[in-house]
Amino acid sequence: MNTTGHKTWPKLTSREEFRFLADLVLKHSTGDHTLMSLHDQQSGTTRFANNHIVQNVDTRRGSLRVTVAFGRRHGTAGTTDFTAGGLQEAVAKATQIARLSPDDLEYLPPVERQQYTTPPTTRPETAVAGPARRLEYTNEAIGQCRMENLGAAGIVSSSVATVGVAASTGLFAYEERTDARFSLTVQAGEATGWAAAAHRSIDHLKIQERTLTAIDKAKRGLETRELPPGRYTVILEPAAVAGLWSSLLRTLDAKAYEKSTSAFSGKLGRLIVDKRLTLRNLPAHEDLLGCGFTEDGLPTVASDWIADGALTQLAHDRFTAKKQGIDKIPTLDAPCLSGRGSSLPTLQELIKSTESAILVTNFWYIRTVNPTDLTLTGMTRDGTFLVENGTIVSAVKNFRFHESPLRVFNQVAAFTNPSEAITSETGKLLVPAMTLREFNFSSVTRF
Amino acid sequence: MSVPDRDELAELALKRVVASGAEYGDIRLLDSMTQAIRGEDRRIASIRESQDSGFGIRVLYHGAWGFAASSVCSLEEAPRVAELAIEIAKGSASVASERVKLAEEPVHRDRVVTARRIDPFAVAIEKKTALLLETMETVHRQAGVVRSSASLWASRDRKLFVSTEGSRLEFDLLALSGDFDATAVHDGRFATRSFNTPHLRMGYELIESANFLAEAPRIASQAVEKVKAPTTDPGLYDLVLDPEHLSLTMHESCGHPSELDRALGYEANYAGTSFLTTDKRGTFRYGSPHVNLVADNREPETLAATGYDDDGVACQQWDIVRDGIFVGYCTNREVAPKIGETRSRGSNRADSWGSVPIVRIANIGLEPGAATLDELLVDVKRGVYIEGHGSYSIDQRRYNFQFGGDAFWLIENGKRSHMVRDVVYHGITPDFWGSCDGVADWSHRRRYGFITCGKGQPGQSGWMTHAASHARFRNVNVIGGQAGS
Repeated sequence: MNTTGHKTWPKLTSREEFRFLADLVLKHSTGDHTLMSLHDQQSGTTRFANNHIVQNVDTRRGSLRVTVAFGRRHGTAGTTDFTAGGLQEAVAKATQIARLSPDDLEYLPPVERQQYTTPPTTRPETAVAGPARRLEYTNEAIGQCRMENLGAAGIVSSSVATVGVAASTGLFAYEERTDARFSLTVQAGEATGWAAAAHRSIDHLKIQERTLTAIDKAKRGLETRELPPGRYTVILEPAAVAGLWSSLLRTLDAKAYEKSTSAFSGKLGRLIVDKRLTLRNLPAHEDLLGCGFTEDGLPTVASDWIADGALTQLAHDRFTAKKQGIDKIPTLDAPCLSGRGSSLPTLQELIKSTESAILVTNFWYIRTVNPTDLTLTGMTRDGTFLVENGTIVSAVKNFRFHESPLRVFNQVAAFTNPSEAITSETGKLLVPAMTLREFNFSSVTRF
Repeated sequence: MSVPDRDELAELALKRVVASGAEYGDIRLLDSMTQAIRGEDRRIASIRESQDSGFGIRVLYHGAWGFAASSVCSLEEAPRVAELAIEIAKGSASVASERVKLAEEPVHRDRVVTARRIDPFAVAIEKKTALLLETMETVHRQAGVVRSSASLWASRDRKLFVSTEGSRLEFDLLALSGDFDATAVHDGRFATRSFNTPHLRMGYELIESANFLAEAPRIASQAVEKVKAPTTDPGLYDLVLDPEHLSLTMHESCGHPSELDRALGYEANYAGTSFLTTDKRGTFRYGSPHVNLVADNREPETLAATGYDDDGVACQQWDIVRDGIFVGYCTNREVAPKIGETRSRGSNRADSWGSVPIVRIANIGLEPGAATLDELLVDVKRGVYIEGHGSYSIDQRRYNFQFGGDAFWLIENGKRSHMVRDVVYHGITPDFWGSCDGVADWSHRRRYGFITCGKGQPGQSGWMTHAASHARFRNVNVIGGQAGS
């Protein structure tokens, strides 16, 4: 097996090839407007459990989508067939749908040609990484766990994709995006410890460091005590903070706001969380997974969403943005939450400064219970500990929480500098670890 | 690029697999067509028809798996993908310390076609959009309703499965669903009431029989009633759960823990493991004697009834829980031998040509009892009747769960009295099912399907149907659905 890199054939759709395909589609379309998008990806995942590889996959998937509009009537067809016949069929299908569609009063023609910045969306070391590289990282994680007589379950994945948008208005956007991920659950009998990473560069997954973190958590969980449900001071690691913030960010929809069916209705411009907290979108940040443009072909933009605790932005589609007179639609592809004022540099410092708290590694199965006040529920997972007088004294059985981020992020006691966070239920964010007061754990489970 | 014949492509690929010395290989060629029509607030927001075609090749080499797939369906691409799958399998084998051994399965050569009266793709788009627009208009006639949505979804999978063992299976499968909802506002709150057809494998007759227009006024008025309804005091209540609601409860608290790959730790890093560990099979009391949970992948029209799974194993019926005792798992050819079973239960499915098949929940249903719904209600002094799906969350071993619902009525002295809002109940799975003291009869049985069951890395969406009659549970912990309660 080649251990230096992955065969790069077949090549993904290049910029020139996408332009050729787009020209072909636009030439065949009789619509008033035509929009076409490309997503062509080679991706692979090595998955392991009980210290064995249980799944080892590599998939090439290319897809094209064509939207044709006549006035305000529009239809969309997607295909994985990149041949001339396949494209013509997609155009014909989209045209047929558009002709049969009723008027959509919210339809807007594709945007005009745009200027894009070039955020760092691709890294060559990830683009050429293949099964051999994934296997190497898998062996590293499993090997460390075997040495400790522990069980490893997780994934190493890498992908490269070419993405494009073109339209009859002259719009043309194209870029390459890479993505590499590592996630590991270490099992020590009943106890589990977890760590995860995602980055544009496969070189930045820090396999050894994260494996040691997961091992440490699993070993600390060997003896577990049960605490009663109730309100506790909590130290949330970045992944746990990311889980709550992702749920919050998903509900910033401008149309729901306008129709009074949002937890944020009436709160634009007002304090919604602790005034030391600011949330920005930073598409050019090297440690985030920002991209150059949206599905509509709009450029992503650096923007403030929450400034000094106040909600300053909503998630607009093009229709609500136009209605509100917003020219540059803010995007949320690369969120970064930071705290102003005295922060502690690391999680370890945060623990050291805490008299009594529950330390939460991660949350799982976070769901909205009440959309009006954004009450969420979910479970702690893969490392929940009691901290007393600045040290971790024992693992505790996992809790269910029942809490609103709009309440608890007004109970901030301390925070660190932002660091990378990713979970199986969130995209990647930069967020601090945080100490929050009076966090509501509503019940305890059996492990 | 040559236009491929599916059998030719399959033969070309599997020849490479056999020549490599692999002990097993299969190929799935899939051509999926999906149509999704989505309405929102009295407008048709999108109509999309997507064709997704490709093939995936699975190779078992020296007891280790490799899988490669491509959307480029050509005779040039097939050998490349086959070689890649072999190379990956060899890589897996180079570090394997135990070998996968597949359970035996007879060779099958068959064709499976979904029975349909009306082809959903042949129904005019104007007819479908008119139905959705009229449904939303009807919903908005109700004072207090501020938002609505309505959608129709149809899928057709044409699949060819060929294995190196000689199986050759062709499929032409349909699936369909439709739904709409109404959102009302009152006093700074908002609430949504939904109507869903089950996802089933049948034709457009499913939508026609659902009668959206007749149901719309009821859904709209209940949305308003729901947002204005009082809350309940937290405490212990008897619950009477309707079949749609139970489909989710069963899915999360019985379906997932009965997946053998989870119990063996395959999903430890994502979906989780299972409290139903292998030592519990045959002895563990999962629920009361009223609880019989049966997996049936042969019931016509249900999502997992595909004739054969993606291991090429014939669909079957078996018990998961019998008289309250946990007795069986959902398995595939890889994991079945690990618990001493000689044949897979045929529950191995992939969500596309580009995904590797994994153990999925079967069509698990609650076997009907003997009661009528009125008999279940009549001796409830203080309880809640719950319809439909709401919030849901469960821990990674499937013990501690919390469910909401779509609509709630207080039961007082044996009768449903009035709607209440923000009801959430919490339980520990075996305690909850242990509190079941009555299940309604066959006449109350309904089926609900799931097409977004998340599992696997990369993530896949599983499809299955869960059927139930109404059931009653005693002294369940109901908590408030507000922040910090």
